[in-house]
Amino acid sequence: MPRNKGQRASFGWNFTGIAALVLAACSLVLVASDVAPARIPSLVAWTPETIAAASAGDPFRGMLLAKRCDHCHGAEGFSLIASTPNMAAMSKLAMWKQIEDFRAHKRRSRPMEPIAESLSPRDVADVVSYYAALPVFPDPQDNRVFPGMRPESGRAAIASRLVTFGDGERGIPPCQSCHGPVAYRAGAPSLATQNGDYVLNQLEMFASGVRTNDINMPMRTIASLLSDDERHALAEYYGAGLGLQPASSGGPR
Amino acid sequence: MNWRKLRVFLLTALVLCLIPATRYYQIDVPLLRFLRGSHHVDPLSLHLSGEFVENNLGTEQDADGSVTVRMIAQQYLFVPHCLLVPAGVPVHLRITSADAVHSLTFSGTEYAVKALPGTISVVELSFPRAGEYKTVCREFCGAGHYAMRSELKVVPRDQFPALRPDERGNCAAQ
Repeated sequence: MPRNKGQRASFGWNFTGIAALVLAACSLVLVASDVAPARIPSLVAWTPETIAAASAGDPFRGMLLAKRCDHCHGAEGFSLIASTPNMAAMSKLAMWKQIEDFRAHKRRSRPMEPIAESLSPRDVADVVSYYAALPVFPDPQDNRVFPGMRPESGRAAIASRLVTFGDGERGIPPCQSCHGPVAYRAGAPSLATQNGDYVLNQLEMFASGVRTNDINMPMRTIASLLSDDERHALAEYYGAGLGLQPASSGGPR
Repeated sequence: MNWRKLRVFLLTALVLCLIPATRYYQIDVPLLRFLRGSHHVDPLSLHLSGEFVENNLGTEQDADGSVTVRMIAQQYLFVPHCLLVPAGVPVHLRITSADAVHSLTFSGTEYAVKALPGTISVVELSFPRAGEYKTVCREFCGAGHYAMRSELKVVPRDQFPALRPDERGNCAAQ
């Protein structure tokens, strides 16, 4: 019957089509293998689920877990070691992201990588919510590291200008538009009570490309645009606790 | 009248009318999206996969001599912070935003490109003269908007470095 003949012919076409598809798939794989592997700064993406997971911790359980962190990060979240960050009153998301990056080896640190690997996701959320709930200022009897010395007026002026206005000519946005107190970006730490040496250390590591875990590279860009003098000025400014108020209202001129 | 033929004709007409209807009512049909090429990206995971991962940003040299520039606008930076393109060739700019709406303008030209979260803006630009242009955000995007500026360096064609396929030109690193 003519019908059968037609069916046979269409089978032949189908076979050619399948062969063409296989060839196309092979060439796609070849093209894909030619592309350079993606350099991924951090596995964290700030989806609503991530934000909910990072901020739903139990601070009391966190307090018990954080006894192990006291040795370096201080009993009140204010570190006595200059190169270790203060954790008190820092944003939950910022701390959570850093621990996740340590766990994924996206940020390198000899003590913190194994510690992050040993913590479960629930532990991380709990510890982070404990530190976020600590008071902004430490007991001055116990802690003589923070706040540090007020920077001399020239440097304070440089820093307060950068914190408040940034530098439009060079395209440096003001620090306080992401790191507080004016506005906070998801995952950006509040620098109001951060210790100065740590700030300087991290700015230099961002500028030299040692630390690369900032999503879409804002800090690598900004830190490399800053001069060495400005990085020191900013570190002293934040180390002296001057980042607590918006600089334009009460900061040095 | 052949009813079978009419039925086939009407059905075809109905299906053909449905295609523009899906666009009008913004119904997501994966097959159609695949056929016309998608310009959608997830603004929260630009850094994880796709064409906006950080080693793919910047200027890419195409086979026909034109260049493709990929860029992310975010509060309050354009990434990469300094672009390098050759003069007098078509520049295919692909820009998206990671957070708010931004607008990329080049001082001294009439170009203005909106960067929207979730969508890739695709435009073809051309810079006939070599020189340095300031790129400025012209859409209020937040507290640091006024400092959201970067630079575009247009170099003569023979001074533009020959790039390997996996290399991206950009003057911010130097």
